[in-house]
Amino acid sequence: MWEFWETALLAPLVDLGARILTLLPNVLAMLIILSLGWALACGIGLVTERLFRIIGLDRLSNRLGATTALLRGGIKTDPSHLIGRAMYWLVLAFAVISGLTVLNVEPINQFAHSLLAYIPYLLTAAMILIAGYLLSNFVGQAVLITAVNAGLPPARTVAALSRWGIQLVAAAMALEQLGIAQNIVVVGFGISLGGVVLAGAIAFGLGAKDLAKAFLEQRLSERGRHQQPPDDLRHL
Amino acid sequence: MTPAATLLTSETEARLREIGEVDILIGIPSYNNARTIGHVVRAVMAGLAKYFSSRRAVLVNSDGGSSDGTPDVVTRAVVDYGAMLISDRQSLLQKIITPYQGIPGKGSAFRTIFEIARRVNAKACAVVDSDLRSITPEWIELLIGPVLDHGYDYVAPYYLRHKYDGTITNSIVYPLTRALYGRRIRQPIGGDFGFSGSLAQYYADKHVWESEVARFGIDIWMTTEAIASGARVCQSFLGAKIHDPKDPAADLSGMLVQVVGAVFALMEEHQPVWLDLTGSNQVSLFGFQYGVGVEPVHVNVDRMIANFRQGLVDLQSIWSQMLSPDTMAGLLALKDCSLQSFSIPDDLWAHVIYDAAVASQRQVLPKEHVLKALTALYLGRTASFVLETQALTSLEAEDRIEALCQSFERYKPYLVQRWQETTVGS
Repeated sequence: MWEFWETALLAPLVDLGARILTLLPNVLAMLIILSLGWALACGIGLVTERLFRIIGLDRLSNRLGATTALLRGGIKTDPSHLIGRAMYWLVLAFAVISGLTVLNVEPINQFAHSLLAYIPYLLTAAMILIAGYLLSNFVGQAVLITAVNAGLPPARTVAALSRWGIQLVAAAMALEQLGIAQNIVVVGFGISLGGVVLAGAIAFGLGAKDLAKAFLEQRLSERGRHQQPPDDLRHL
Repeated sequence: MTPAATLLTSETEARLREIGEVDILIGIPSYNNARTIGHVVRAVMAGLAKYFSSRRAVLVNSDGGSSDGTPDVVTRAVVDYGAMLISDRQSLLQKIITPYQGIPGKGSAFRTIFEIARRVNAKACAVVDSDLRSITPEWIELLIGPVLDHGYDYVAPYYLRHKYDGTITNSIVYPLTRALYGRRIRQPIGGDFGFSGSLAQYYADKHVWESEVARFGIDIWMTTEAIASGARVCQSFLGAKIHDPKDPAADLSGMLVQVVGAVFALMEEHQPVWLDLTGSNQVSLFGFQYGVGVEPVHVNVDRMIANFRQGLVDLQSIWSQMLSPDTMAGLLALKDCSLQSFSIPDDLWAHVIYDAAVASQRQVLPKEHVLKALTALYLGRTASFVLETQALTSLEAEDRIEALCQSFERYKPYLVQRWQETTVGS
């Protein structure tokens, strides 16, 4: 009877206890790494935020329209604070992954390694999106001003199209970086853009045939037959 | 940056050693001006012979690599002194034809001229455009005389112009530079100037030759630097200026970026000079003033107002970032008014320009966007000016420009206050 209790109950418990005792140092190490990682994350986040404030990132992003865009998206904090928080969470994520690998459990190790390997793609995709957004703002603004100065009636539409076009390209590039539906995104983007260009060409060539002819005649021959008379102003 | 030591070719250096020192240097920058430069060179030669026959003089053609034979035209230009009724001893005129180094543009050509003026220790210098059709020998006397005989350092031109000529100068550059620096130089970006040898050396030592100023803003830069450095400045009446049009209206936006951009950049550099200055002083004017009929100028006011109103709608978000709320409100009031009542008052216009200067300095937007966004505003102001002055003569229209200048001076404290907020906050 005693042998039964010893084999069925005590032995597994002793075995479990032994395993826990074996794992305990690793768990302790994990907790130490997490604590240190958390402290490091707080420090790096603070230093990063201060650094970007000193170099004037908030002023620059205000000028580029990024702050306004964040406000429109409901984010009331400034870019320096945002980057500081992003650094905090990044360092903390590394600390968590490092802590998990210390446990030396194979499935957890594999997960941690694949996550680590994916982070560079995440960062690259984020940078592409940010750069694409800032570029789209700059180009959209430049196109709007140029179109208004040229007296084009659909100036805002032209500017909006240029802004959205750049943002779409950036989004497609970011998705390609992340490896999400790569072929679908590239093909879909190509088809959409090609379709828009073809539709525009057909509309202009067939629907506005006479206008196209008049436009080309005006450009290639003397101006002013059907237009308002030009200025004789010399501005300088 | 091209160092001064390598600015001149070895042939030019050798030529300078031959020539030695001179009293007068006349510079003519050029690029593919074979059709017109001959007349300019002959006018210069006749002017030197007629008015400065006892002085040693050199004519410097700083060329940007012309492919139409411009340097040959300069070399071959001769003057029939008999027809000019010039019988005195001829001036000792040397000619130097040299390519210029550096980024393409008038500024690089001027830099070469300034450097040569330093090497030959010229006492008085002048630069004239290579496409002038109305230049006469008297221009040389009027640009050099005040320097040689009256001790001035800088001679700005004063042209006879139609009331609608030079609207950027009339509505922006003249009122702004007058209010900032306190000197009433009527045409600060004329293009033809006289200056002393010492001022030429001052210019040559400046480090602007790789910047946009060297390409497009050299004229306003020369005038502003002369005033800001405390040089003695004056003006000379040269009559009408007729030349090949360089700046088609289609590139108006580019012109504003270049010229107004240069003015705003110089404001930042010289703020210790202009911040505390109030009012303005007359500047001596040499030459015999006369009136002559000028050709009528057709202006499409409707197109300008339409462009301005489109800007009010499409650029409102951009203008709101550049301009103060009060200025913006003043402009929005013009959205639906009739053509007859369309008017951008002088006070409002002064605020627009001052706000734009502050916006450029504060970089609320990329500087080029601030300047290009001014185009529709400028067209609105020009249309307003045309409507106000259409029944006036050019002389009477000048009174309106004087009133605009007084507005700029009256509201300078507003500019100073906003500028110092920017400076303190940065």
